[in-house]
Amino acid sequence: MHIFILRRLLQLIPVLFGVTLVAFLIIQLVPGDVAQVMAGEAASQAQLDQMRENLGLNDPLIVQYGRFLGDLVMFDLGESVRTGQPVMDIIAPRFIITVELALWGMVVAVSVGLFFGILSATYRNTIRDYGTMTLAVVGLSMPNFWLGLLLIYWFSIQLGVLPTSGWGTWQQVIMPAITMGTAGAAVIARMTRSSMLEVIDQDYVRTARAKGVSERLVVYKHAFRNALIPVVTVIGLQFGYFLSGAVLTENVFAINGLGRLVVDAISQRDFPVVQGAVIVLAITFVFVNFLVDIAYRVLNKRIDLN
Amino acid sequence: MASNEQTPVLEVKGLQTSFFTPDGEVKAVDGVDFSVNSNETLGIVGESGSGKSITSLSVMRLIQHPGKIVGGTIELSGEDLLKKSKQQFAKYRGNRLSMIFQEPMTSLNPVFTVGSQIAEAVRIHKKLDKKAAWQEAVNMLKLVGIPAPEDRAKRYPHELSGGMRQRVMIAIALSCDPELLIADEPTTALDVTIQAQILELIKELQEKSGMAVLMITHDLGVIAETADKVVVMYAGEVVEQADVKTLFKQPLHPYTQGLMNAIPRHDIDLDELEMIPGTVPTPQNMPSGCRFAERCPYARDLCVEKHPELATPSNNVDEAVTTGQTRCWIYTDEWDGPNPTKGVATNQ
Amino acid sequence: MTTPLFEAKNLQKYFPVKGGILNRTQAQVKAVDDVSFAINPGETLSIVGESGCGKSTTGRAILRLDDPTDGEILFEGQNLMELSKSDLRQKRKEMQIIFQDPYASLNPRQKVKQILDEAMAIQGVVSKAKRPERIRELMEVVGLRPEQAERYPFQFSGGQRQRIGIARALSVDPKLIVCDEAVSALDVSTQAQVLNLLKKLQKDLDLTYLFISHDLGVVRHISDRVIVMYLGKIVEIADKKDLFDSPRHPYTRALLSAIPIPDPSKSRERIVLQGDVPSPMNPPAGCRFHTRCPFATDICKTEEPELRSTTFMNETHKAACHHIEKIAETEKTSIV
Repeated sequence: MHIFILRRLLQLIPVLFGVTLVAFLIIQLVPGDVAQVMAGEAASQAQLDQMRENLGLNDPLIVQYGRFLGDLVMFDLGESVRTGQPVMDIIAPRFIITVELALWGMVVAVSVGLFFGILSATYRNTIRDYGTMTLAVVGLSMPNFWLGLLLIYWFSIQLGVLPTSGWGTWQQVIMPAITMGTAGAAVIARMTRSSMLEVIDQDYVRTARAKGVSERLVVYKHAFRNALIPVVTVIGLQFGYFLSGAVLTENVFAINGLGRLVVDAISQRDFPVVQGAVIVLAITFVFVNFLVDIAYRVLNKRIDLN
Repeated sequence: MASNEQTPVLEVKGLQTSFFTPDGEVKAVDGVDFSVNSNETLGIVGESGSGKSITSLSVMRLIQHPGKIVGGTIELSGEDLLKKSKQQFAKYRGNRLSMIFQEPMTSLNPVFTVGSQIAEAVRIHKKLDKKAAWQEAVNMLKLVGIPAPEDRAKRYPHELSGGMRQRVMIAIALSCDPELLIADEPTTALDVTIQAQILELIKELQEKSGMAVLMITHDLGVIAETADKVVVMYAGEVVEQADVKTLFKQPLHPYTQGLMNAIPRHDIDLDELEMIPGTVPTPQNMPSGCRFAERCPYARDLCVEKHPELATPSNNVDEAVTTGQTRCWIYTDEWDGPNPTKGVATNQ
Repeated sequence: MTTPLFEAKNLQKYFPVKGGILNRTQAQVKAVDDVSFAINPGETLSIVGESGCGKSTTGRAILRLDDPTDGEILFEGQNLMELSKSDLRQKRKEMQIIFQDPYASLNPRQKVKQILDEAMAIQGVVSKAKRPERIRELMEVVGLRPEQAERYPFQFSGGQRQRIGIARALSVDPKLIVCDEAVSALDVSTQAQVLNLLKKLQKDLDLTYLFISHDLGVVRHISDRVIVMYLGKIVEIADKKDLFDSPRHPYTRALLSAIPIPDPSKSRERIVLQGDVPSPMNPPAGCRFHTRCPFATDICKTEEPELRSTTFMNETHKAACHHIEKIAETEKTSIV
């Protein structure tokens, strides 16, 4: 197991290199000049040249990348070209909010998804199964900003029980979490169902029944533990999507998360902030995948850990 | 024999199990009768599609949707198992009757240790606490001849060989001292030297506990070595039933005869194997007469037209071999003329 | 002495086992380890053994379906190891293989006639115009009706599918056919049909078989000579009669005694082997069978026995055991 974790960690190195390189290059390639933005519309050619020199923009790309990496290791993502604040300070509080939002979305997605997936599998080809799976298709196809708007219309405007926007109190969590989690719940429910159906016909499930294990335990202990293995991967992937997909939900509910920050930064051409956000999100994504991989191995005893 | 008076451990009468497919009802088991006494092994032999495995799963009430037991009775020491509710029957399963399966590689749950899988059965039926159940699991592993049982109990199934896993399955099945053990092709997936070990083990444990064993197999060799009585199944029906010596000495049904002459033997040379032409009829095109008629070298119009009953032979047979029963017109009074199978020697 | 049709010399097939942080090869599974044998034209040579003994790997290696790690494979005197991929493809029409599960090797979307046609087209053995006639002929040879060539594989039963597998192998007019557990998945009554067919075809078409099976009954029925393998090594090789009537290697004896005989009136001494086959990744030193052998002594733990014959054995009969004489001696005394 230790060897496995170690090997996986080593494999992360090239991935992280790739991620940072792409983030670095994207900013180089997008139209728009950082120096121009920083110096303002009225700046003279001399001022621009000076600005470029100061920012190191005249160095060869490889040197710039090296410097960029060196700073990154020190958690230095540069400064905002708009406000001059360190990017790290701008991103950190926003990132925490987005992670919170994604986690609450996960809670909804996982609990609802697993529940309906198992329900659907145990009552396969019955009205309950068809009902659940129809709901899943609806959940999957509904754009989540629209779901968010519907929720606001019902609960805030019609019933007046939940606040329309903001982040912090538990009332403010409910609707964004449902908005975020619904599509994920649908994906997880479908995956759980098919995984359960595959497992429920396995010989060892029959063995459990032959031992006299109650049907409830057969499903929740013997079958579910095995069915969970592929579902874990899907759950991990969902979390990644949630982080990157938070922007829509954040906008609908006016939550000051990382997604909104990025949208604002893009429209203001505040490239260091965009770059920093991309890197933070990418690294989080890679790290979540790493955890999922480990969880997968822990659950799946059959895989030789070496 | 005195055993005729005791209540059999298992008595199956008129068992019918069907599968309800979109194409209609498939009668996988169609009116099967047999019984087993304690300390006795009944072999059920048949090829694929004979219904032998469905029969065994029916006894355990492990038939899953779209299958259903549609008729007959299954009595365990006189109690009708089919009349029990699901909850009542769960108390019997794995306790008073238990089962081992063909595929030891896939029959154990890959995410639990083998010890915990044995302990689970013990905890359900004997109401022991966790520690006592674990100890019992270790004892069972020892009983089935697994070396270093304390250590093996903590292993996961994939860490054990096929033979070891089948021993674990036996340990699970026998952990609650059942009256009846159903072994469904228990050695088919194993190598011969391992098969010998496992068959020996089952026999040894039977001698200790006096349980009844239902041995389901396609291998007449395994039947000859383990069974006291034999039921031969073909296309969902019992076609012959006899004690093992009589069956091998004087098989009556043309199918049984054909089967015996089709086996290549490692102990004697055979010039040519007898072939049974054709294939087993599919349940969708089940003949209305004798189900073996279209493959039978002796079939007459009678056989194609009328379905024979399983009965004690009354015609064309020596007095000495009338202990069994067979489902063939040749041995009934309706058959006029000599026995056409006479002079067809079997392999020995 | 006839010149053999096929010869394997010091054949080895190792599979690497990877592991560690850098995923390097850490060990070798010696699936086939220094195996030599010859097959004479027109005979059936069988390889028997339990799972993991290397019998199937041997079958695949000699056709270079998996390239051997080392050794020579000679077909009509030509070393197949030296052939390029395209020359080897040419040679494949001389050597065909039939698998245990013909269904897995038959394209489900092709009709039988397309399957057979394709096999012939690849090897270019029959001109396009003559192929329909040849397909009809092949169907009849394997006991199927010619019009059944219009069907798809799933429309056949297991035994019939195996006949299609045989027809496909025969379509290119091979000299050698490797039958890898070819009848193992079949019910006894169908198995008998296929075995009889294989025997008949051998007689009619002058075929040579390498028959790989775990079933000693089947092997006795079909073979002329038999090889017994254990953990990647040949432990005994003999004419059929010698092997079944007077096995010399303790493993062969245990194997034979372990098979249930379908005759309850025959009782006999059974040698029940203890334990499991050791891992081929780390086979025991000396004689690989010594960990389970009732006759093992110190020499067996250190010195690997050669395949050899002794005075009371036919010269074609060889066993790899240090104690052939001693075992024969104990047998004599126990009978008296």
